[in-house]
Amino acid sequence: MSAAREMLCDTARAVFAEAATAGMGPIAEAGFALLLVPEDEGGFGGDWGDVNAVLQIAGAMVPDLPVAELIVSEALQPAATVSLMAGAMGQALALSIEHVNTRQQFGRPLGKFQAVQQSLAVMACEVRAVEAAAAALATRLDAVGLDPAAADFEIAAAKLRANRAVGVVTAIAHQVHGAIGFTREYDLNRVTIPLMRWRGAHGNDAYWALILGRQVAEFGGEGLWEALTAR
Amino acid sequence: MQGFALYPFDPPGDVAALRAELRAWLAVNQPQGDIVARANCWASFDADFSRALGAAGYIGMTLPERYGGGDRHPLERYVVIEELLAAGAPVGAHWIADRQTGPLIQRYGSEEQRECYLPGIAKGELYACIGLSEPGAGSDLAAVRTTARETAEGWRINGQKIWTTGAHFSHIMLALVRTEEGSERNAGLSQLLIDLDTPGITIRPIIDMAGHHDFNEVFFDDVLVPHGALVGMRGQGWQQVTAELGLERSGPERYLSSHALLVALIDAAGAQPEPAVAALIGELAAEMWTLRQLSMSTAAKLAAGEDPMVEASVVKELGNAFEQDMPRRVQAIVTSGWDEPDNLARLLRALLIASPSFSLRGGTREVIRGIIARGLGLR
Repeated sequence: MSAAREMLCDTARAVFAEAATAGMGPIAEAGFALLLVPEDEGGFGGDWGDVNAVLQIAGAMVPDLPVAELIVSEALQPAATVSLMAGAMGQALALSIEHVNTRQQFGRPLGKFQAVQQSLAVMACEVRAVEAAAAALATRLDAVGLDPAAADFEIAAAKLRANRAVGVVTAIAHQVHGAIGFTREYDLNRVTIPLMRWRGAHGNDAYWALILGRQVAEFGGEGLWEALTAR
Repeated sequence: MQGFALYPFDPPGDVAALRAELRAWLAVNQPQGDIVARANCWASFDADFSRALGAAGYIGMTLPERYGGGDRHPLERYVVIEELLAAGAPVGAHWIADRQTGPLIQRYGSEEQRECYLPGIAKGELYACIGLSEPGAGSDLAAVRTTARETAEGWRINGQKIWTTGAHFSHIMLALVRTEEGSERNAGLSQLLIDLDTPGITIRPIIDMAGHHDFNEVFFDDVLVPHGALVGMRGQGWQQVTAELGLERSGPERYLSSHALLVALIDAAGAQPEPAVAALIGELAAEMWTLRQLSMSTAAKLAAGEDPMVEASVVKELGNAFEQDMPRRVQAIVTSGWDEPDNLARLLRALLIASPSFSLRGGTREVIRGIIARGLGLR
């Protein structure tokens, strides 16, 4: 990660921590609306790699605030949602690891039990897949100047993959947490409820699967590989 | 395990040209063969094809030129491998030698071993198998009991390997053996490079449930190999094997083995598929695209000299699940008789039967998930 993006992320973490109780005020004041605005127009001059990084932090820390709407145009909201989802999933995984390494039953931490380890490995694979999808989508969007039409395959594939991870990730996160994860007080629901909401927002599974499937059908069997490797 | 950083996949040179050259070469040189052999094609043996591929410079690409290699970047090799797999080329004969034995000899082997074996590997003429599993050492690889004792004449090997893919057509085996008497678990193990025509070696076929002869039992009865058969450091076999497995787990074969079925499904569905079929194609394409990103990133991390053990395991776990899932989901939605002669039906049947092995070979699902869990900081 570049030094500029590291700094951006540090700022985002500090501002979002404040915004968690204060609402959108600090985020607007910090100028996040200018993230994608070119430098010569007085903006930050960021790319989608920056947006992805910031929205992953937003997805983990302030999933209920309209940060994506502040930064990104309507046409790119599906792509933005993938980043939010990746961030929220990463937070659900971090909370789950922390919980099973701390919570003791039968005289040892839950994380010592193979059944729990295998579940969390499954969950981690899903989270890594969504993080990779978000990163690859960012690479494509930056390569085509943020033109959603030129990144149509990647937007569909990434949002669909993220949607499909939601069920596994939320189910395993809650399962390994036990009853404490089902309370309003504990932090887990702050990311799992948004994940459930985002699965249906800006295109659910069926919506993107049909769009992507029709696009691939037009490529044809051999053409799919040619199209994938030409992008 | 920190958040997943996508390593940029950025091979040197003109990648588009590399793909185009290879596609043109395949158009002329790839045997038409049976459609079923195009699925799971890294198990398809064709020595003539391997020789031609080697002569064209597509085997041993990353090995130094002085050993007959191509001195190419590992990510250029990655591009070639994914093209070969997507085309369903019969790469089974040289697959293991090219993927792991050659690189391992280059990394840990002696000068003599490099000169002796690498040129044959790069020509696509010298084939290798991996001697890891034993009757009592499957997922629990550290339970290896095959011994090699150093004597005045060389190493004396006694014991048995099993599930050895390609032993019946391979020239050499890179075996993990116990060289230190009284040693236990992952200490005291070493890697030996064994010429399979050495007296005292018996190879017996094991026919798999698809009716194929891919794997074997290999018996060692007082087999004598030279002192120079030791690869790398005596007693460091476990560490060397672990590095080797990283090469084995993250490649494009973990998500492209069933590509022929996806191609057949798309072709059978036509340009305007009914919604349910289109949705299935969309979901499979999204998964494949994601897996390709993960696999390329892992290859880039490996090429950067880092250890992607956990990432490689994620690729294998998700890739195996994808490839086992695909034939089941295709069967659930496409009307196709079990014995129909068309391509889609035959591929479907072959992959339904082959797919249980996907989450066994190269490390079982349970072992792989254990590695991931350790990477998460559990246990």
